[in-house]
Amino acid sequence: MAAIIHSIGHKPFVTDATRLMLGLICFWGFPSLKALESKPEKILERYCFDCHDELSQKGNFDVVDFLKHNKPDGSLLFENLITGKMPPAGKEQLSQEERRSVLDWLAKREAEHAPVSFRRKSRQEFVFSVNDLLGTKLELADDIPEDRGTYDFDSDRRIKLSREVLSAYFSVVDEMLDHALPVEGIPTERVWQTNKVKDSHESYRCYLKPHDEGILFSWTRANNGNNYSFFYDNFEPPVPGWYDLTFDALKVGEFEEDVSLQVYAGRYYFADDRPQPQRLLGVVSLGNRSLASHSLRVFLNPGENVSVHCYSKHTFRQKSPEQGAYIKQLRVRGPVFDRWPPRPYQQVFGALALDSKVLSSDDEMPSRSRVALASRSKDDLRRILQRFAERAFASDLTEDELAPYIRVSLRHFKEGEDFVQAIKGGLKAILCSPRFLMAPGEQRAVADSMAADLARILWLSVPDEENRLLANRAAISDDTLRELIDRMIDDERSARMIRSFCDQWLNLRSLEQVAPSLKLYPRYNDLLDYYFPLETHAYLGYLIRENLPVRYLIDSDFSFLNQSLAQHYGINGVVGQSMRKVSFSEKVPRGGLLTMGSVLKVTTDGYDTSPILRGAWVSKNIVGTPLSPPPENVAAIEPAHGEAFTLREQIELHKDNRSCYACHKSIDPYGFALENFDASGQWRERYRVKQAHKATFIYRMEGYYRLGGTVDASGEVNQRPFENVFGLKKILASDQRKIAYNVAKKFFEYVNGYSARLEQRLELFDRIAAGVKGYRMKDLITEVIVYSLHEGRK
Amino acid sequence: MKHFCRREFLKFGAALPLAMNALGLRAGNTPKPSSPPRRVMFICNSLGFYEPHFFPKVRGDVSSSTYLENLAVKEKLTVFQNLYHPGMDTSNHDSEKSFLTGAPYPEAAHFKNTISIDQILAEQLGKGTRFPFLPLSIYDRGWGCSWNRRGVPIPPLHDETQVFNKLFGQEDLSARRRQVSNDQYVVQCLYRDMEQLRKQGRESSKIDAYRTVVSELEAQLKHEELWLSAKKPVVPNPLSDDQEFAFSTKISNLLELSKLAFQTDSTRVITFSMDWIYGAINVPGATGGWHTLSHHGGKEDALGKLSLIERDILKHLNSFLVELDRIPEGEGSLLDHTTVVIGSNFGDASNHTCKNLPMIVAGGGYRHQGHRVLEKPTPLCNLYLELLHQHNLDVGQFGSSVRDAGLLRG
Repeated sequence: MAAIIHSIGHKPFVTDATRLMLGLICFWGFPSLKALESKPEKILERYCFDCHDELSQKGNFDVVDFLKHNKPDGSLLFENLITGKMPPAGKEQLSQEERRSVLDWLAKREAEHAPVSFRRKSRQEFVFSVNDLLGTKLELADDIPEDRGTYDFDSDRRIKLSREVLSAYFSVVDEMLDHALPVEGIPTERVWQTNKVKDSHESYRCYLKPHDEGILFSWTRANNGNNYSFFYDNFEPPVPGWYDLTFDALKVGEFEEDVSLQVYAGRYYFADDRPQPQRLLGVVSLGNRSLASHSLRVFLNPGENVSVHCYSKHTFRQKSPEQGAYIKQLRVRGPVFDRWPPRPYQQVFGALALDSKVLSSDDEMPSRSRVALASRSKDDLRRILQRFAERAFASDLTEDELAPYIRVSLRHFKEGEDFVQAIKGGLKAILCSPRFLMAPGEQRAVADSMAADLARILWLSVPDEENRLLANRAAISDDTLRELIDRMIDDERSARMIRSFCDQWLNLRSLEQVAPSLKLYPRYNDLLDYYFPLETHAYLGYLIRENLPVRYLIDSDFSFLNQSLAQHYGINGVVGQSMRKVSFSEKVPRGGLLTMGSVLKVTTDGYDTSPILRGAWVSKNIVGTPLSPPPENVAAIEPAHGEAFTLREQIELHKDNRSCYACHKSIDPYGFALENFDASGQWRERYRVKQAHKATFIYRMEGYYRLGGTVDASGEVNQRPFENVFGLKKILASDQRKIAYNVAKKFFEYVNGYSARLEQRLELFDRIAAGVKGYRMKDLITEVIVYSLHEGRK
Repeated sequence: MKHFCRREFLKFGAALPLAMNALGLRAGNTPKPSSPPRRVMFICNSLGFYEPHFFPKVRGDVSSSTYLENLAVKEKLTVFQNLYHPGMDTSNHDSEKSFLTGAPYPEAAHFKNTISIDQILAEQLGKGTRFPFLPLSIYDRGWGCSWNRRGVPIPPLHDETQVFNKLFGQEDLSARRRQVSNDQYVVQCLYRDMEQLRKQGRESSKIDAYRTVVSELEAQLKHEELWLSAKKPVVPNPLSDDQEFAFSTKISNLLELSKLAFQTDSTRVITFSMDWIYGAINVPGATGGWHTLSHHGGKEDALGKLSLIERDILKHLNSFLVELDRIPEGEGSLLDHTTVVIGSNFGDASNHTCKNLPMIVAGGGYRHQGHRVLEKPTPLCNLYLELLHQHNLDVGQFGSSVRDAGLLRG
């Protein structure tokens, strides 16, 4: 279905805070005359009433109504004033003092309407924390219901723990504990070798053929463009665990590009060509001309099989193929452990002596080892649980506080379970307790709560013992705190924060929800979906770690690409699928967030580009201008894509309608500037018009379209005209303070779970100017964290 | 595998009943509820029905349809013409994924489905039965028409014996019982833990919020415990073992089990994905690949065989409806309290088009109209939205619904 103009992706237009506040509007009767005489109101009357009184209500905003009803939510007014968007250029401007006095007044009058709320652990934080505590690396966040709803950030304090989520935590903890400390013991490592794939439907068998000692794969897409998998036979993972997959493989074909072998895990069903739910394990890039071993370490569950996908423009529907990926064989080794006894035993039991005993073996079952504890002492049990609980809660615990958890384990112990099993009972209680799930804020010592906060913000996890010690020093002064933050950003665990913040801030989690039409964009494929966010994560991580100025968010002469992305962007000379830093010449429109495939794709309407959605995205996430919701009585435009006249022309028709134009003139131009990028993120000069297909849709490389109208990417932002995206970037990058202020607000919300109150915004705004020289990224987020630890927890 | 057991249970057991008093009803020979429960069944014949034979030739008259003229309960069903799902123009067999969800473009590589209508209904109707819902299919294929709130497919059950044992047989539930009892220890521990926190004067709103959730979980465990100890209804094994017409046998067995599941109130929501994409099947009078024959291209020979398969399917569906109608319940029959939706994701399977879907709504006590032709193509989700409304579920909109279809009120 075509998008409805007045909806922005999958998120509401208004900030949720606004919505909440609107719900809380109080009517305090008629304003007294006295209130209206006070200075800020006078200032507003002088500068704003011309356009925003009861009669004009430009942009659907009525300042008189705002004052009359003493509406508590002044954020729209506040943001327009602080960022200098209002009054518009060409109108009489407020003096610095006047502006400041209105801002102060707005901040002060914002009543403390925030509902009683607190932080809970998000599902990502939960899984990372448990993994770090147990020494496992399980990816089970998807087994826990997504409870974010329409809020931007997982941390949002309005999200409440629900029974469904707690119930999922119970079962995820079981799964993690069973994996970490298995009851049945651990099978010893085995090796499998296979060069055979499971039987598949005849329509697809023609795209592979026996070759040398193995198989040559060329094309794994069904007629309608779906992926089809070839599943390897003769290997079934016996237990959930880590396995090393090694493909002895070679590219066959006289072309420069590599052949990408996508490796998935999923269940095999005979001859069902429809895509099954599968997990992408990794991509093997075959670039060389000699047989080589390519290894991936992956997690597999029993019941899953390993499958391979492979396609490229060189092997399009090649029957009895001559080109493609030759896989001599797949070798599997596992389950593998990086140390023995496995890490979880060492993390949970520490220095206590561990026994490994080999259990009976027969031909059917590989022999298993069971790790047991030499001890059966209650004191040991107590010590183990205490140590684990103190790590989980980042706090010292008294005897009384510890008692309930110990009781669970003792009960299991009494019922005759072995020591390790009994411990697991107590561990589960610890991991499901309010002290763990409703963290932070359960620490007695200031330093502990600081350590817990920092670990949650920067690592999405719990602090390690070293960090709890360091926090004692960090609690002394802001400078030592900044040092600790710096140290924690250097730790590889901070990649979780970068990814998580990036995905939530830029809405990249919705990336896969929209699929460009295969008829218009036949070269688009699921590998690009996989690589797009990697580029954005790598880029944002680089800006933060290298502490580059925020203007790099808008424009730069480099990004992180691999062969697929470079080809997609029309950049030559990048071979192979590993991500690397690539520099651009001046003529390349890439560089910066706006022109990344991830952003360009996530801002489409599920079918083709929408300047309005893109404009709203830029406005909300980069420029930071709050958008007022469209008036309710306005009918949505259903864009007719690729028709005789362009979407832009359709939208511009609305220029005549003053009530639409008042807002849209400040939203749409950002989107128009990006019109040179199609829904798959590729550069275009002309639009594509979809053509009908006959009978059953059959995928073809040239798609089903003809070229339509020429793209016009010009526009005007704040009275500054631009020709295309190059011009827009210059305009945006020229106001670094505005960009920095917006990043700070977003990061504050990410950290604290609510959007900064107006007085906090004033403080952030001031701190950016005073404390963050050159608007550098790492300094900026450090400053927000320092401020949040003092302020945000109030 | 231990954790697999647990996952299985979560699929079917997590939404175990909250209505405790409903419990005794299904355990053996306790009395029936005063007013009959409402039930639904969705059947997707994923290769469609040949349109010229399916739809009545005379508007409004079901007996003018080649396939449907012999249906016995014509006064308790309506054949709808001109329903479709938008956003299916480049879909082929993937359209089955969206049959009960209405999510567009299911063929996209990273397609993310939405919740299916049967699952929304199961959240409501499934509270009082051992199984909140029962997903069935003809062969093992990992997904069918049921999709949960996260857009994850719920694998259907295809093995009749396994389904029979699940519904009526003896299962070893000791591992699950132990699990429930362990979780109950943990819950007790959490209460003590909260008591500690309260004594220390920690934020009380936080603890209260947590306590509410824990007590909900405790109630869920309690109900699960009760179901684990409640006896299953005793039913003689009805499964036929006719190997000559294996396909036919499979369909009639699964329909028979569905009938028994409804009759014993073991579940109130069943979804049956009827598909057999590959391999030859044998029905009286014809042998051939159903999928191959579905691409008949108008050829008479292929059509002849295909219609024998399709007639065979409709024969089983007809006797299923007849049998439901023979079971007295309340002031009517079991069929009067059971909405049976029979349809397909394909309008014309030969060309993979998803317009004008063959749809029948039977039973449910609606004011049926025999054959109803809609003046213009109407989203099938309008009808689904109406079904949700008919079951007192207000979900705003569903899938591509524009409005309540208003078709079942007559």
